Amino acid sequence: MNELIPLMVIVPLMAALLISAFSRFNTVTKIFAFVVAICLPIIPIASNYGLHYFGGYEPMLDNVTNVMFHPAITYSFTFLQQIFIAMVGLLTFLVIFIYLTKYKEVSGPYLFLLFLGTAAVTAMLLTDDIFHMFVFFEILALAQVGIVAASSISYSNEMALKYMILGSIGSPMMLLGIGFLLAMTGSVNITDIAAAVHNGLVDATSPVFLMSLALIFFGWLYASGLPPFHTIKSGIYSKAEPHGAALLQSFTVISMISIVLVMFRIYSTLPIFEVLIVFFSILAMILGVSLALTQTDFRRMIGFLAVGELGFIGLGIGLGTQYSITAGLFQALNEITITALLFIGFGAIVNATNEVDTRKLGGLLAYHPKVSIMLLIGGLAMAGVPPLSGFQSKLMLVQASLSCGYPEISILAIVVSIATFVVFVKTYYSMFLKPKPNDLDVEHKEVPRAMIFAMGILLIIVIAFGVYPDVVTNGISNFVGGIL
Amino acid sequence: MLELVLGIVMILSAILALIQKDLLKAAILTGFCGGAMAVLFQILLAPDVALTQAIVGAAIIPVFIALAVKKTQREDS
Amino acid sequence: MAQVQLIILITSVALVIIGLYSAIFIDNIIKKIIGISFIEEGANLFIVAIGYKAGGVVPILMPEMDTSWFASNAAYPLPFGLVLTSIVIGASTLAVMLALVMVLYKKYGTLSTKVMLADTSKQEEYNE
Repeated sequence: MNELIPLMVIVPLMAALLISAFSRFNTVTKIFAFVVAICLPIIPIASNYGLHYFGGYEPMLDNVTNVMFHPAITYSFTFLQQIFIAMVGLLTFLVIFIYLTKYKEVSGPYLFLLFLGTAAVTAMLLTDDIFHMFVFFEILALAQVGIVAASSISYSNEMALKYMILGSIGSPMMLLGIGFLLAMTGSVNITDIAAAVHNGLVDATSPVFLMSLALIFFGWLYASGLPPFHTIKSGIYSKAEPHGAALLQSFTVISMISIVLVMFRIYSTLPIFEVLIVFFSILAMILGVSLALTQTDFRRMIGFLAVGELGFIGLGIGLGTQYSITAGLFQALNEITITALLFIGFGAIVNATNEVDTRKLGGLLAYHPKVSIMLLIGGLAMAGVPPLSGFQSKLMLVQASLSCGYPEISILAIVVSIATFVVFVKTYYSMFLKPKPNDLDVEHKEVPRAMIFAMGILLIIVIAFGVYPDVVTNGISNFVGGIL
Repeated sequence: MLELVLGIVMILSAILALIQKDLLKAAILTGFCGGAMAVLFQILLAPDVALTQAIVGAAIIPVFIALAVKKTQREDS
Repeated sequence: MAQVQLIILITSVALVIIGLYSAIFIDNIIKKIIGISFIEEGANLFIVAIGYKAGGVVPILMPEMDTSWFASNAAYPLPFGLVLTSIVIGASTLAVMLALVMVLYKKYGTLSTKVMLADTSKQEEYNE
């Protein structure tokens, strides 16, 4: 059923608008949000693969130059889009479920922002039109700022304003880059631009082309929170509500891979492109882990670890072979689940103790055994311990960098994994195993059932991908073979 | 020749807006810049964009900034 | 490249540079936001200049026009459509930023970025 492809964007977008318009009716809003949230992961699974042309304008053959061109905004839906959209839909469902069960009075604007962000990342994944992607990139930035500003944590507004100012410098840069590409090729369709570049219609060494790469690359760095934006990115994770942060990091990962795949299709003829991506990825890995070591606020620590993990994704894509890109995309999928699990789990701890400083915590294993076991498995999966999913993708990355002839990078990846393990175990020890400080009064507050449920589902996915990685990697590998 | 004059007006009003001590004057100068740009769009054969820019750039953005200045403070200290 | 286009490109580059300067170096937050709106306007102006054609006509097909003459003489309308979207996005981001500034002004009582957006981790330690 190809008619379902545009519905993946339209359903959350319409739901967002309706909920913010009718947020006065509390019960109706709750039921409606729940029903839409259940639909989100089901639609991509039920849909068939294929292309959707908005307005029905099919691709046309130019009789003079014998080149196909696409007049319509095109959505292309393959296995990669299916698995990622289903995953972000599932995550949105879990986050909205936690939010609905936590508060009696739900806030319409907050649900609006959550649905708007989901619609934006879905469209960024699906679209084959670079300007369409830019529009949803801006909408996503607005939704992220809203989610951060809506949280009740102190200094969240300052962080939101900082992120917004950086974003409104980064997005005109990206728009200028798109303008350069448009001036060179006369089109905004990515397939057309890539065809023009690969057929030699565009001089790939001209300064205008390099300038457009630099400008779009700057926008990508901002969207994905690689250095020099790693501090602000981990800052907004720590200032959002924990379930909001779980969704925010999935937005970051998906916008990162969708923009980098577009750049890869256009600029892969330039050798400097892959060097740039590998350079910034390695920088992100080292900076993320070493800054995570020094943090005492555990939300901030997870934020920096998440930035470090982004480096692994960039590394896989920067190496540029079919196997390494598959590994990078599989790592992206794992990171979405694992980091969401960690954010939700640590959010449960914040909920129970109202304390975020690891130096003042301790002995929580006796109070919250379920949460602590699940957090331990999530942390081990992030560090890459077999047989969990993080291990499979990191193993693939190490093998890919070895087979590309860069043993240094594989050694670095292993060292960063070990450092991640150290950071996580250090934090875990001081939170759960160390004897309880005397001045810490743990109330006997139950962790909300919804949080346990969400963590359980994410844990099942982590273990399932760890045991049967072929289910996903074969499909992703086919997709990557198509774009190379 | 008109485009040269308009370009100079835009750059001058942008610089003047940023060196004003009075933020309300800065808001009005931003409107000058947006209005000049609307005329430039008309010269560049884009009348539809010119209409939008005339409303957004010359009216809505200065009014937003002026409202923010009214709610906060007027002098740049 | 026509002379008109050259003048427009110089103007847009100047706007982007003025905007970047103010966004980085000016302390007052409202002036910073005005500068950011200049960056957006510069980018819009640049993209409209791409579609311009010297001696061309406005890309609206009137009934009395010959289609092939129109196709070879009209300006390229795709960038104009993109800029329409981009102008509205710019205005909405500006509105969100100003709203956040109004909220923060109530807390700090000043528009200075050094006070308002100082490193938040240091602020937290100071408060402890």
